[in-house]
Amino acid sequence: MVDVSQHELVPDHTVLEDAEIDSVLEEYGLSRTDLPKIKLNDPALPDDATPGDVIEIVRDSRTTDTATSYRLVIE
Amino acid sequence: MSMQTPKQLGGIRFGLMDPETYRDLSATKVITADTYDDDGYPIDMGLMDPRLGVIDPGLECRTCGQHSGSCPGHFGHIELAAPVIHVGFTTLMRRLLRATCRECGSLTLVEEKKEEFRDQLERAEELGKDPDTVLKSAVREARKQNTCPHCGSPQADIKHEKPTTYYEVENVLASEYSEVIAEAMQPDDEDEDDEGISPSELADQTGISLERINQILGGEFRPLDEDRRALEKALDVDLTEEDMNKLMPSDIRDWFEDIPDSDIEVLGIDSENSRPEWMIMTVLPVPPVTARPSITLDNGQRSEDDLTHKLVDIIRINQRFMENREAGAPQLIIEDLWELLQYHVTTFVDNEISGTPPARHRSGRPLKTLSQRLKGKEGRFRGSLSGKRVNFSARTVISPDPTLSLNEVGIPDRVASEMTITINVTDRNTEEARQYVANGPEKHPGANYVKRPDGRRLKVTPKNCEELATKIEEGWEVNRHLVDGDIVIFNRQPSLHRMSIMAHEVVVMPYKTFRLNTVVCPPYNADFDGDEMNLHALQTEEARAEARVLMRVQEQILSPRFGENIIGAIQDHISGTYLLTNDNPHFTETQALDLLRATRVDELPDPDGEDEAGPYWSGRTVFSLLLPDGLNLDFTSSTGEDVVIEDGELLEGTIDEDAVGAFGGEIVDTIVKQYSETRARVFINEVAALAMRAIMHFGFSIGIDDESIPPVADEQVDEAIDNAYDRIEELIDTYEAGELESLPGRTVDETLEMKIMQTLGKARDSAGEIADDHFSDDNPAVVMARSGARGSMLNLTQMAGCVGQQAVRGERINRGYEDRTLAHYEENDLSAEAHGFVENSYRSGLTPREFFFHAMGGREGLVDTAVRTSKSGYLQRRLINALSELEVQYDGTVRDTSDTVIQFEFGEDGTSPVRVSSDDDFDIDVESITDRVVDAEFDSEGEKEAFLGRREPPTNLSERSEPRFQEVESDD
Repeated sequence: MVDVSQHELVPDHTVLEDAEIDSVLEEYGLSRTDLPKIKLNDPALPDDATPGDVIEIVRDSRTTDTATSYRLVIE
Repeated sequence: MSMQTPKQLGGIRFGLMDPETYRDLSATKVITADTYDDDGYPIDMGLMDPRLGVIDPGLECRTCGQHSGSCPGHFGHIELAAPVIHVGFTTLMRRLLRATCRECGSLTLVEEKKEEFRDQLERAEELGKDPDTVLKSAVREARKQNTCPHCGSPQADIKHEKPTTYYEVENVLASEYSEVIAEAMQPDDEDEDDEGISPSELADQTGISLERINQILGGEFRPLDEDRRALEKALDVDLTEEDMNKLMPSDIRDWFEDIPDSDIEVLGIDSENSRPEWMIMTVLPVPPVTARPSITLDNGQRSEDDLTHKLVDIIRINQRFMENREAGAPQLIIEDLWELLQYHVTTFVDNEISGTPPARHRSGRPLKTLSQRLKGKEGRFRGSLSGKRVNFSARTVISPDPTLSLNEVGIPDRVASEMTITINVTDRNTEEARQYVANGPEKHPGANYVKRPDGRRLKVTPKNCEELATKIEEGWEVNRHLVDGDIVIFNRQPSLHRMSIMAHEVVVMPYKTFRLNTVVCPPYNADFDGDEMNLHALQTEEARAEARVLMRVQEQILSPRFGENIIGAIQDHISGTYLLTNDNPHFTETQALDLLRATRVDELPDPDGEDEAGPYWSGRTVFSLLLPDGLNLDFTSSTGEDVVIEDGELLEGTIDEDAVGAFGGEIVDTIVKQYSETRARVFINEVAALAMRAIMHFGFSIGIDDESIPPVADEQVDEAIDNAYDRIEELIDTYEAGELESLPGRTVDETLEMKIMQTLGKARDSAGEIADDHFSDDNPAVVMARSGARGSMLNLTQMAGCVGQQAVRGERINRGYEDRTLAHYEENDLSAEAHGFVENSYRSGLTPREFFFHAMGGREGLVDTAVRTSKSGYLQRRLINALSELEVQYDGTVRDTSDTVIQFEFGEDGTSPVRVSSDDDFDIDVESITDRVVDAEFDSEGEKEAFLGRREPPTNLSERSEPRFQEVESDD
């Protein structure tokens, strides 16, 4: 089986700690459900992700070096 | 002037309306189907009752006491003789009927399941998902139950017959049950092993007494459910038949009344604002007369609105229903009338329901009822609310004027004196305002209306203008004519991108067309073959300021579509700069100054040298005069030529489309990004002006002889084509001998086709090369193709050499007769000419057969463009609707209206495509940009400190507010 998370075009997906989540939500003035979503069956997710987790995605960007976004894991 | 205090909306509640509320709201009950009496007065409690509002001027509303115009109209009501179903809710009703118990009305799910669905609904709402999926699965789950888990009564399935009929489907014992059983007991003739079954064996298998079995077989006893199932199992037969029981609206209403509030919530209905039984109407609201005004025709006859016609029908049937019921008419007649009433109420709400014939006007035209008023392009939403007709706008044909700046628009004087701008009179412009009014409405910079501080509007006439002018004082408003320098909005449809609507400065001109500089054609996608454009005069100071800063043409030079300039030299401008710089010709002083006469340059630098005619200036030197000082640029144009610009001097290379053209001309793009929009505007204006002078200096024309090649070349072309024919003949021979080797993944037939196409393509290319060899470099068609001004070498090839293979759907032409394209060819002829190869050139002329094939290929192109525009138009509409609510917030995130984050930073990097450009070859060179910016900005450390108090250079100055090029000179 191919592990897509190792593919060079798939950006890093990491599960955030609670404290980190709070600081992200604080920064943008959001509640968890306002975040963009990601399905639990998304092959790019780390194995230990569960619904309700917040994933940090760091993409390469030509203009800003890296672009960070956050997604809420849903079923 | 009386003004109502603005009120704030507390909120909007969506839900169903209680019939009792309808009655409370109603100004009157409507009982008569008639509208006006013989004297033309509205009948009391009729459809035009004066309590429902007034439309005739002079009459007074009996409800609010206001006159027509200010009376908003008031609802009435009709008491329906029997309840009817509202068509808008039929699917929801079907869901409720299927999911709830017919006896106790509660949802046929156990408490835990209900709780689960309630949670799921809440979750869906939190995550912004569609609650419908949850609701559907809840209904599916509830429908599976055969008995109610609360009261234990059996549940029948519900069948919905569109639009408004519901049946309960129950399985009952078939009437011919005894025959079915008897037949099943007989031995099967075709199956020898089957010996049938005797009544006693049947009794043993089913556990029913033999006596009872015999009674059942005799039709004297109907087996009960339990026995029936046992019999069905033993004999493997179906003893039931479907029994359809129609549910009348009154039954459904009773049923829905029993549904508890808590269960409604699980089904996604807000119990606070809606009760399901309100979906069945017992009282019908009558829209105010203001919503269905009647019109008086020329002959004095009144013509009623479609809605009124429909209401008349409803009232008539309603009355007949009541009369019949009171007279004790048979059930059948009552049901027919009930259905008729249902039909009229249904079509009153929606007259485009599939399966129901639309209600028609006497003339046969389908009536436009409530739903039709709202739906579609001309409906209330898309037609009246989102799209409005506006004042202060003008539309006429456009034509070119190269003497205008690209920021300007020429406006016919008769438009300028019809369209006005509102100015508020203050102590600083009283004199000016008086002058406008004194000129009156007919002399050009005049005024058409004035408004006194008390709100009264006065028309300025040639007679009263002098007198009115003296009265003008602070606090008045004057609607003055458009004058030079005013900012207006200019637009060409279809408005596909933001550059389709730009702000221009007015230049008032004679004649009847809008005039614009040809360099703004690309953003509008305009030409002058009869195109019309719209113009809007801005009415407030804020609007004018915003338009000037954000929407002016020079602010739109860069397109957000590809991050490069969309405004630049086109067509003749490009031919002109090409002629000026390609051979770097020499000009005398007079000639050079003539070239530059339309620019701000009025002094020549030192001459480049001296020839027979005296001192000369080269074309590149003349062009360099337009470039800003300090511009350094080095790029390769698509012709492969290096263009070198150092310190604002064009040292090497030809200026063509890649340098100054619209759609990414290198020099224009660099000037906007490194200098300013203002500098770029001046540059584009001057390039256009210089290019026109240059092209006129050299002279530029094209005729049919410019595409002709010498007979020698013609022979060469013929030879090349003949060679190709020979090769194709060889290919066909190998193919017919079965010796053609197929290419990987292709059949032999496909291989042959491909090889023939290839050979013919090569033949046309070599014809092109031969033709190209015989064209001189100063051939105007060649100049246009090389410079990128218009046309390509392919077009030239087709005109001079050979038109080439015609294709339909990417293949040689294969359609037409059986096994051949035209009757002129033999069947299965694979040759080039039989399949649409045009060996002639456009200049030499096509044979009739070639012409026919060419028309086939041409038709495909036309159809493709037609289909593409309509498809992409609809696609764009859907995209715009899907994205229109997204907004960049102050924290930099992109969110929709429910505050859900779409992007954490616009485009994931927070940059505008217009401000940043990078391509696949190089990322943004941040270092050099900062170096350049810092170097240019600060001469000393002290100035760096002042950086915080820095002010952006003004970009919003009118070209007319100061000497024309003052702002630019300070840049250089």
